[in-house]
Amino acid sequence: MAEGETPAQAATHRLVLRGVRDALVLPAWVVGFALVGVGSLAQDVGHPLGAAMLSTLLIWAGPAQVVFYGSLAAGVALPLIAAAICLSSIRFLPMTIALMPLLRRPGQGLLAQIAIAHYIAVTVWVESLRRLPRMPAEERLPYYLGFANACLLTTTALTGVGWFLSGTLPAPLASGLLFITPVYFTLALAAGARTAVDVTAIVLGFALAPAFGYLVGRDFDLLLTGLVGGTIAYLVGRARRRRGA
Amino acid sequence: MSGLEAIVGAGLAPYLALILFGFLPSEIWRVLGVVLSRGLDERSEILVFVRAVATTLLAAVVAKLLVFPSGALALVPLAARLGAVAFGLGAFYLARRSLVAGVLAGEVFLVAAATIALDAP
Repeated sequence: MAEGETPAQAATHRLVLRGVRDALVLPAWVVGFALVGVGSLAQDVGHPLGAAMLSTLLIWAGPAQVVFYGSLAAGVALPLIAAAICLSSIRFLPMTIALMPLLRRPGQGLLAQIAIAHYIAVTVWVESLRRLPRMPAEERLPYYLGFANACLLTTTALTGVGWFLSGTLPAPLASGLLFITPVYFTLALAAGARTAVDVTAIVLGFALAPAFGYLVGRDFDLLLTGLVGGTIAYLVGRARRRRGA
Repeated sequence: MSGLEAIVGAGLAPYLALILFGFLPSEIWRVLGVVLSRGLDERSEILVFVRAVATTLLAAVVAKLLVFPSGALALVPLAARLGAVAFGLGAFYLARRSLVAGVLAGEVFLVAAATIALDAP
């Protein structure tokens, strides 16, 4: 315990540090290396190092950042880029609704809650949903903030590394970096799947997204997949619960 | 060009573009999620549905990244991209659900396949 620290503060610090440690075991590095390529893309379109790193701190969504810099490189108009990013980040709505009830404490203002929600991205969400429900409610937030900040800051640093590496990576390695996101998302989903709802949702997401991508184009395919697949998965789960009850 | 200028850049344009056309259109969903989830209990039934939609969306994002990839990943054939995910999943379960083993196995498969595919004439 540091000098002048109350036992309650010391306990909070221990929880923050446990979050940092759990993140640095693997998740922070996975999401960090996944965004090395974003730094390179930013350098390619002539954005400075500061902007590249700020894109991670602010947007904190690999696919959206790839859309942002990829579209700039292709000369897409800025309002169209904003629309594409808006559609690609729609997953944050259900993800935030699902996670916030676990982190909300009495006395938290709206701005504090928005700050807490800013950290939500796939890595943080999957791992939090796996770990937080088992923890006492008052221990969750410090642990979450330690975990999420470690992920965000590691990734911001590695985005900067990617900015310097731009153009120097051989193609197979560059494709390997871009592959981290899909392979890690897949495994994290598999690791977090506990119920029939989860499994059905994962299978339908995989199957419906390319189908809707071809049928309705690549703008509204995510939205449709989420609503149709999510509803079916929910109904499957409810039917199973009814039968079990 | 001074060292500082190399880092922060010569103008505000990249930062403004980033905030207005990158950050805000993405962040709006998180803010909306905070507002809509107010008063929801962590055990409420609607959360089961919301979680199902979120999980479906995540799987959908993965499928899109694999089927319609961008950048260097597009140079690798679709079969190799799907094969690498399957290989990673297999390693994950064989290594008693180790994420490290799964990610590493998938990466080794993908980079090897990419090397072969890109070397071929």
